[in-house]
Amino acid sequence: MPACCCIKRWANRMRLINHVQEGLANLLSSKLRSILALLGILVGTASVVAMVLGGELVTNEALKQFKTLGTDLLAVSVNDSDQGSTSGMLNNLTLPDIYALQTIDRSIVEAAPYAQLYNSSQFNGHELNTSILGVTESFAHLVHLGLASGRFISTLDGYEFFCVIGAKVNSQIKRLTYLDAVGQQIQVGKNIFTIVGIAKPWPENSFVYADIDSTVMVPILTSTSLSKYAAINNIILRLTPDANIEQVQTNITNYINQHVADKRLFFRSAKELIAHMSAQSQIFTVFLGLIGSISLLVGGIGVMNIMLVSVVERRREIGIRLAVGAKRSDIWALFLIEAVMLSLIGGTCGVTLGVIVAYIMAVCWHWEFTLFFMPPLVGFTVSVAVGIFFGYYPAYKASQLDPIEALRSE
Amino acid sequence: MSLLIDLQNITKVYRSGESEFHALKGISFQLFRGEMLAIVGASGSGKSTMMNIMGFLDHCSTGNYFFSGHNVSRLTDKELAVTRNQKIGFVFQSFFLLPRLNALQNVMLPLFYREEPEALARNKALAILKKVGMEKLIDHRPNQLSGGQQQRVAIARALVGEPDVIFADEPTGSLDSKTGEEVMKLFLHLNQEEGRTIVIVTHDKGVSHLCQRVVALKDGLIVCD
Ligand SMILES: Nc1ncnc2c1ncn2[C@@H]1O[C@H](COP(=O)(O)OP(=O)(O)OP(=O)(O)O)[C@@H](O)[C@H]1O
Ligand SMILES: [Mg+2]
Repeated sequence: MPACCCIKRWANRMRLINHVQEGLANLLSSKLRSILALLGILVGTASVVAMVLGGELVTNEALKQFKTLGTDLLAVSVNDSDQGSTSGMLNNLTLPDIYALQTIDRSIVEAAPYAQLYNSSQFNGHELNTSILGVTESFAHLVHLGLASGRFISTLDGYEFFCVIGAKVNSQIKRLTYLDAVGQQIQVGKNIFTIVGIAKPWPENSFVYADIDSTVMVPILTSTSLSKYAAINNIILRLTPDANIEQVQTNITNYINQHVADKRLFFRSAKELIAHMSAQSQIFTVFLGLIGSISLLVGGIGVMNIMLVSVVERRREIGIRLAVGAKRSDIWALFLIEAVMLSLIGGTCGVTLGVIVAYIMAVCWHWEFTLFFMPPLVGFTVSVAVGIFFGYYPAYKASQLDPIEALRSE
Repeated sequence: MSLLIDLQNITKVYRSGESEFHALKGISFQLFRGEMLAIVGASGSGKSTMMNIMGFLDHCSTGNYFFSGHNVSRLTDKELAVTRNQKIGFVFQSFFLLPRLNALQNVMLPLFYREEPEALARNKALAILKKVGMEKLIDHRPNQLSGGQQQRVAIARALVGEPDVIFADEPTGSLDSKTGEEVMKLFLHLNQEEGRTIVIVTHDKGVSHLCQRVVALKDGLIVCD
């Protein structure tokens, strides 16, 4: 019994091979027409693959910032509430507040407060295009900021006038002097800061608002003394991976409102941002895929059109095949296989073309190119499905022809 | 001689909208194994219709059709196809070879639909082509063959499946008299030497004279046997 089964399956496979050979011969016999039908599928598949893959690449690019930064971050912006706005800087957060904050919730691992100022700064009398950031020792570590040379701000710096400059500030200074920036001095307002370190370029990030590359980073205590408007109004927290973000947010709000002042707090968690971005880009990708699918649909209609013409043209052939004993299912398979082969070839070329187009887009817009598995697979599957869907009706029509009428037709 | 085909009061009605056309008006007829039969009659008398019904290409409207003892009047499309493939060989006036296939592939076609292994089918087809004298032209396509050669290939295709009966609808109609004679000689040889059952529809008196039995149709009825 198994042997019999095996032989039968072998025979069926032979048959499929024969059908495929026949289909290929038929397609080759009307090359131009086949190529035109193929082109429709090719363009359709290519656009689906290029668009979906492009969408994925954009998403990837947007999420890449979090890869280096980590996903366990929570940013807190502290604003004066409307009622308390008159109470002035007395109610601002202080460093001890921050240290205390770290202890209120066990899921807070590390905290890096920073203060942003927009004082102008000069180097050798030349205006620099920078802003000032008051930071603590933990800042560099938390946002993964590397150092090109020198050292970072340390807790021991206290109220000292030391600074670390961002990569772009460094290149501004390089244009003004041949000397190494470390050890030189920058003037901020009336104060002279000594440069103790140069940061490596830091990819811009929607999570930390400051453009670190063009800032002059000074000890946070020093920064609060620079201006009466200076205040610790931002904190970046690293949480444990299993932290309950909502709970942490409530705890922080309660703590600050009870122990510091009535403040309005704004939270941004990396996880939320990522979820939000993923959701958006998913819609975006689906949308692009749909646009691509429309062209694939047009390609499918092209296949159907050409198969219908082919059925009409080959009525005589169908009649002959029926007369020598082809079953309706044989005729059906003959035409369906041709349609599927058209879309299979078109789909394969289309996937290749689509990936190439996505690659070119990636090169043009400086995205990192990753060959995601899904878009080509989707493109390929959909193109074959289109072939089956649009080839089905012509093949069915061919199989329902009456043998005598088919033979009689010219 | 055993009975192969038994038609009992077969009719065929073509309907087009309101009007009906009675192509066959009650045909009763028997065909025995080993016979060589000619069907003659004026154009439109129903010869092809009768042959198509006997050859399982068409259904009759009423009546009973027994093929080697089995009632086959109401077969499904699939059963018709299988029967055509295994029991019947057709030869047509305008050859009806597939233009894209060469002579050998054309002859192998019925075996392809019978799911015979390719090598076996090939050997069978080669043997038959040799029998009809076409062994030198097996890789020629129909458009590279003369009419007589094409008809030989078509006869080989009809023979390759070892059918019970061969139906030929005006097989010499597209040939000049000399090649027509050669084709008829081939049929005679197949009938007399190999005992094959052959039914030939023809206008040609010369052709019908060669057959041992002649049936004449007129307006859908058999007028002379
Ligand atoms: N599909 C059809 N619809 C309507 N009438 C048809 C159809 N097929 C055949 N007929 C009619 O049936 C009659 C018999 O046709 P048939 O083809 O059997 O004639 P024939 O004897 O083979 O003629 P010829 O010698 O010209 O081939 C003809 O009058 C024809 O018009
Ligand atoms: Mg006729």
